[in-house]
Amino acid sequence: METKKINKKIMIGAAALIVIIAAFLIIFNVFREKPVQGSKSITLEVLNQEQQTSEYQVQTDAEFLRQAMEEAKGFTFDGEEEDYGFTLYTINGETHNWNEDGSYWAVYVNGDYGQYGIDSQPVEDGDIFRFEYTPPYTE
Amino acid sequence: MKGQGKSAKISIRDIALIGVMTAVIVVCKEILSFLPNIELVSFWIILFTLFFRWRVLFVVPVFVLIEGCLYGMEPWWIMYLYAWPLLALISYLNRKQESVWFWSILSAFFGLFFGLLCAIPYAVAGAVNNGIRSGLYAGFTWWVAGIRFDIIHCIGNFVVMLVLYHPVRRTFERIAHELNPRPRCLQKEAEKK
Repeated sequence: METKKINKKIMIGAAALIVIIAAFLIIFNVFREKPVQGSKSITLEVLNQEQQTSEYQVQTDAEFLRQAMEEAKGFTFDGEEEDYGFTLYTINGETHNWNEDGSYWAVYVNGDYGQYGIDSQPVEDGDIFRFEYTPPYTE
Repeated sequence: MKGQGKSAKISIRDIALIGVMTAVIVVCKEILSFLPNIELVSFWIILFTLFFRWRVLFVVPVFVLIEGCLYGMEPWWIMYLYAWPLLALISYLNRKQESVWFWSILSAFFGLFFGLLCAIPYAVAGAVNNGIRSGLYAGFTWWVAGIRFDIIHCIGNFVVMLVLYHPVRRTFERIAHELNPRPRCLQKEAEKK
């Protein structure tokens, strides 16, 4: 009798787990950032370690930021494919690797700190993407 | 003496055991770090709580501190301060459960909600800087972006517990028995002396 009760609880737990996974997948599909297609005009801004700003206007059909960056004339970048996507290390020949010295390139989207990697950051018409050198954190 | 009796509760063997448990968690985490969200930390914290009880109160904070020292005490680290103790607490509250399916499902739930737990510091930071609405948006988008990884985490935790629970449990039962071989009445007499 007791075993049956426990088994029932486990079955309910397993069913709840499956239902919640399904709910999470629905939430993901409804609320995730979706790419926008069509001709878009965007701006790439770079603020390097010397506090010099450079700006690049890009006309693109790119769905995601990485492709738009590849299309930008005079703008170069490099990085590594890692578990969670492409990690940006070098812009216009200037390298900042968080793993080495704590500095990195922060990406701002229309003034807000970016929540996605350049692989998954959608591009919309009029967007301004700012790549800002961020020094190592010190107390 | 009262004070001596209290301090005698943590033996050298306990300290060594706490060190070994922490090392096992850290080493397993580092070895599997190349696989996104496949980890043994949840498994070990659950099993250590079930078999070594109060010692986990030392293991979890030391593990969190080591992670902070290794990777820097960034916003993700704040989440470590409450997520792992929460798992230990939930495990302790369900310590009478022995079913492998129960623990596999519980571990899977923890993996599934891990991203949601992680999003809290981002939501709070966003709310402090730009108001509650902005904070909720930051936390929500951060969570949604990682849902796929949470599901991988969920499945990984489930499989790990299902496969390792019985063999590790058998070993731990032997160790736990060796740790407390004396009956309680004899332990109390020893404490009085």
